[in-house]
Amino acid sequence: MPVAASAIYFLNLRGDVLINRLYRDDVGGNMVDAFRMHIMQTKELGTCPVRQIGGCSFFYMRISNVYIVIVVSSNANVACAFKFVVEAVALFKSYFGGSFDEDAIRNNFVLIYELLDEIMDFGYPQNLSPEILKLYITQEGVRSPFSSKPSDKPVPNATLQVTGAVGWRREGLVYKKNEVFLDIVESVNLLMSSKGSVLRCDVTGKILMKCFLSGMPDLKLGLNDKIGLEKESQIKSRPAKSGKTIELDDVTFHQCVNLTRFNSEKTVSFVPPDGEFELMKYRITEGVNLPFRVLPTIKELGRTRMEVNFKVKSVFGAKMFALGVVIKIPVPKQTAKTSFQVTSGRAKYQASIDCLVWKIRKFPGQTEPTLSAEVELISTMAEKKSWTRPPIQMEFQVPMFTASGLRVRFLKVWEKSGYNTVEWVRYITKAGSYEIRC
Amino acid sequence: MAPPAQSQRSPSPSQPSGKSELSDLKLQLRKFAGSRAPGVDDSKRELFKKVISYMTIGIDVSSLFGEMVMCSATSDIVLKKMCYLYVGNYAKVNPDLALLTINFLQRDCHDQDPMIRGLALRSLCSLRVANLVEYLVGPLGSGLKDSNSYVRMVAVIGVLKLYHISASTCIDADFPSMLKHLMLNDSDTQVVANCLSALQEIWSAEASRSEEAPREREALISKPVIYYLLNRIKEFSEWAQCLVLELITKYVPSDSSEIFDIMNLLEDRLQHANGAVVLATVKVFLQLTLSMTDVHQQVYERIKAPLLTLVSSGSPEQSYAVLSHLHLLVMRAPYVFSSDYKHFYCQYNEPSYVKRLKLEMLTAVANESNTYEIVTELCEYAANVDIPIARESIRAVGKIALQQYDVNAIVDRLLQFLEMDKDYVTADALVLVKDLLRKYPQWSHDCIAVVGNISSKNVQEPKAKAALIWMLGEYSQDMQDAPYILESLIENWDEEHSAEVRLHLLTAVMKCFFKRPPETQSALGAALAAGVADFHQDVHDRALFYHRILRYNVSVAERVVNPPKQAVSVFADTQSSEIKDRIFEEFNSLSVLYQKPSYMFIDKEHRGPPEFADELGNLSIGEAEDNVVPSQRVEENDKDLLLTTAEKEETRGSTGHSQQASFGIDDLLGLGMPAVPDAPPSPPQLKLNAKAALDPSTFQQKWRQLPVALSQELSLSPQAIAALTAPQALLRHMQSHSIHCIASGGQSPNFKFFFFAQKYKESSNYLVECIINTSSAKAQVKIKADDQSTSQAFSTLFESALSKFGIP
Repeated sequence: MPVAASAIYFLNLRGDVLINRLYRDDVGGNMVDAFRMHIMQTKELGTCPVRQIGGCSFFYMRISNVYIVIVVSSNANVACAFKFVVEAVALFKSYFGGSFDEDAIRNNFVLIYELLDEIMDFGYPQNLSPEILKLYITQEGVRSPFSSKPSDKPVPNATLQVTGAVGWRREGLVYKKNEVFLDIVESVNLLMSSKGSVLRCDVTGKILMKCFLSGMPDLKLGLNDKIGLEKESQIKSRPAKSGKTIELDDVTFHQCVNLTRFNSEKTVSFVPPDGEFELMKYRITEGVNLPFRVLPTIKELGRTRMEVNFKVKSVFGAKMFALGVVIKIPVPKQTAKTSFQVTSGRAKYQASIDCLVWKIRKFPGQTEPTLSAEVELISTMAEKKSWTRPPIQMEFQVPMFTASGLRVRFLKVWEKSGYNTVEWVRYITKAGSYEIRC
Repeated sequence: MAPPAQSQRSPSPSQPSGKSELSDLKLQLRKFAGSRAPGVDDSKRELFKKVISYMTIGIDVSSLFGEMVMCSATSDIVLKKMCYLYVGNYAKVNPDLALLTINFLQRDCHDQDPMIRGLALRSLCSLRVANLVEYLVGPLGSGLKDSNSYVRMVAVIGVLKLYHISASTCIDADFPSMLKHLMLNDSDTQVVANCLSALQEIWSAEASRSEEAPREREALISKPVIYYLLNRIKEFSEWAQCLVLELITKYVPSDSSEIFDIMNLLEDRLQHANGAVVLATVKVFLQLTLSMTDVHQQVYERIKAPLLTLVSSGSPEQSYAVLSHLHLLVMRAPYVFSSDYKHFYCQYNEPSYVKRLKLEMLTAVANESNTYEIVTELCEYAANVDIPIARESIRAVGKIALQQYDVNAIVDRLLQFLEMDKDYVTADALVLVKDLLRKYPQWSHDCIAVVGNISSKNVQEPKAKAALIWMLGEYSQDMQDAPYILESLIENWDEEHSAEVRLHLLTAVMKCFFKRPPETQSALGAALAAGVADFHQDVHDRALFYHRILRYNVSVAERVVNPPKQAVSVFADTQSSEIKDRIFEEFNSLSVLYQKPSYMFIDKEHRGPPEFADELGNLSIGEAEDNVVPSQRVEENDKDLLLTTAEKEETRGSTGHSQQASFGIDDLLGLGMPAVPDAPPSPPQLKLNAKAALDPSTFQQKWRQLPVALSQELSLSPQAIAALTAPQALLRHMQSHSIHCIASGGQSPNFKFFFFAQKYKESSNYLVECIINTSSAKAQVKIKADDQSTSQAFSTLFESALSKFGIP
């Protein structure tokens, strides 16, 4: 039994009910109170997202300022339940057009009830695809006022489409200008020891697409990944082109991708859904190009003084630049006074997070700015001699750079009417959790 | 308790100031009830919205029922939906009024718009009023045959709802067989998936009541059905795929080529973006290959990458769910993951529930090649701000030390912890050093030097203090001032609150006395005096015992209290392998997250007192009705339980009540009389096949599939215990009763057996798991049977066979 949720609740941070939908009678009506008493009002909140109270299990998730709680009384499939919540939130967002928070829920509660009715019946997940649901749940949020007349022409073959073979795409779409946008977004995770050796480093990437294409197009995407290239050269019986090939550790695809063809031919071919979607996700651990190298030195000079020297070097191409670079260098709680010298950007001491924050808005490649700071501490009697240093954290975005080196080789669009398409490809690398111990 | 107060800035309808609001609404609704003027629907929508929002925040608006129903005659679909929602919520408490709605719902069931038909049917089934079920059967029947798949989809779940309201109506109308037909023939996969969920639920609930249920359940996992679903799996939605995959885990393929076919077909599911599908596929792979050891290993290798990806993507909650499963796999096969240890490094900002799992995994995968890196990493965490995690990491270092042969470096690290000068670090490190010394006494020299420097005043936690005292006693010859530290501890005897520490203190001072008598004598005297005067029974008894044995003979006392010790080779595992296997069977469910099998948290008797129900009773919440529902439910469950046990008594009654009574008295007197009655219970009608045969793999499959028919605890006679020196003795005995053993093992006092038996001239099998503990003279017996109805008879047979064991 995958989920069989007995009830689903939406609560705000104070525990007020925004939405409640009971699917089954096997849980009592006061589950919200149990959740409030045993989880929200205790320190339990945030310790574990799955909790058992009495005979029921509660799965909860916080999304902006809303708690979504699923209550089950059986031995349910947890992964499925959380995925359901995530998907449901994505669906609501696509209806509200943007944010999902307390106000959005209050403004759209009738719509949410309507959707909850469709996406889950008696605790079993049903259809959650926004494409299909939008055909017959036609309320467009509160942005367009209700028409006084009921729509007397039900959308043709709406329900036929509900579970057709290509469930994610409607037929008969027409665009004047056929365009495809493809973004490769990578986040680099790094954990570096205080001695400068890389403890752990990987890249999780996703390919996001936005399609505005007419008809039922077939798309084919070629990347410079190792397996795909090898397979191609095998098929065309000519040696693979020299150049960098990337070894993907693992890939997952949107349901529109033909997995059988991926396994046999190693090409990514698909009929895309209309609009925005995530085509694939991948993970790479070998051969990661770190965009920044950092060299921190933090010296404690006696009990009341500290000296911080920080060098950071951008190792990507000189023509590229990083945006929104933020470096957070932790300092002890009892910091009294700080003074800085930076060769680029601005630095200040933020007492609320006990960090020196160094911001560089635009950071060109192949440069090496430095920060040196002096920190004065209040001497206290109570404080023990050692201060446990949290790691230095870094945030950044580097456009037109991929830490994995992944590149799009081709993106082909084929449709029977044979129209021309415009393809746009972008790359961006962001910091995931970029931690340097010091 | 906190009333559900609303925030003031809420843009939805303002708070009702009391009854006047409701009566106001009532009036307005009444005004619009019959009106068909243009624009009325808009005003109705506003009113309905108000009503629904009151309902959401828990205000009782059931008094508007009549008016709402009157307003429901509309063609506006949004209005209809709101009205249905309202009716569904309150029909149960207003069964009479609910009757009013039947009419318009039934009419809507014949609407020409399939959306309206579906909606009406769904709402009709959601009324949950038992005396209205007669009105459901007709519309459901036609709904299942509707030309539109949306209506069929709703109707299928409707059947399940009907089953929960009135099981007999549902069965009598022959709905299950209609569902079965639909499942195998419908073109729409969501209809098929819903049929599958409904049938699974109906037949597992029916299992105890009807004879056909087990057969029908079996049919769901028969080859044709499974193949039919497998072939269409790509058409199913991601949720339905989870459902189908779960079903496949129960299927038993006939040979290995079939297993490979299924795995090849499903391999691409591991690349699915939905983590739930990936986990479900992983479960299929693991379950199918259980009996093929080397393939099973390859499966681990294959599923590693997708699982690691899932862990690093998605929300923390999702990755926690996956991580828990990964944790389970790492614990089962740590060597497979030993090169991936870096994935289990903790990030600074990760929630502690994730860190805790990662620490355990790091501990498990440590081996010769990666120990150094892992221990270095763990030492980083020891300085973590999150104190519970810091402590866990120290314990993890200790655990690794106990696993490894090369502990050289680790001991140094642990000793560094002792010097870190943080109370909690010192405390945990002390406990670990103690365990380490018990396993590797050769390290005593290095450890003692450091431990000796720790001031006992800085150690407050009982466990740590006990560990320190144990070391003081054990190594008092090597520690210069051991007697004096002990002496000062004894002086503060009254301030020591933990009995455990006081017990350790007594023993330590004794050990110290044997090694350095002149220095310790006075301390020993003081300790014994304080101990004898202690109010804690155990401390008192131990002190008295020491006192007397010392008076009797000092060298005997030394042999008792401080004998030469052997190093501990393996520390006991906390969870039995049986429980671990059970959790593994329930892969991809809550069991994995709770780390206990489902019966421990689902079954009422294992769950302990229903703390939660009690507390609910004390809650003062506006609506009284709501409180009634859960308590009634609990009561009904209790009645069910009572009934089933009573029935069991009756069926067993034939063995005679008088005998049972006499047993009771024997037991009370504790005479240890033979538990065998003079006249053994008359052999039941059941005859067993003396030459039954069953191969181990079939047994395993059956054991996995069948539910436990009976589970009981039997007492064994002293003769039986005496005869049970080795498992073989019991095997021969049971064989003479046509009950064959398929596997056995264990050492005194715990033995475990798997038996099977076959019905005479029939292929119906009985499977038995029997765990015997000779020290308590009890046998835990679990029986599974192909034919549930005769399992009671078989149990009696088994019991009588077992009771004759050991009697010549």
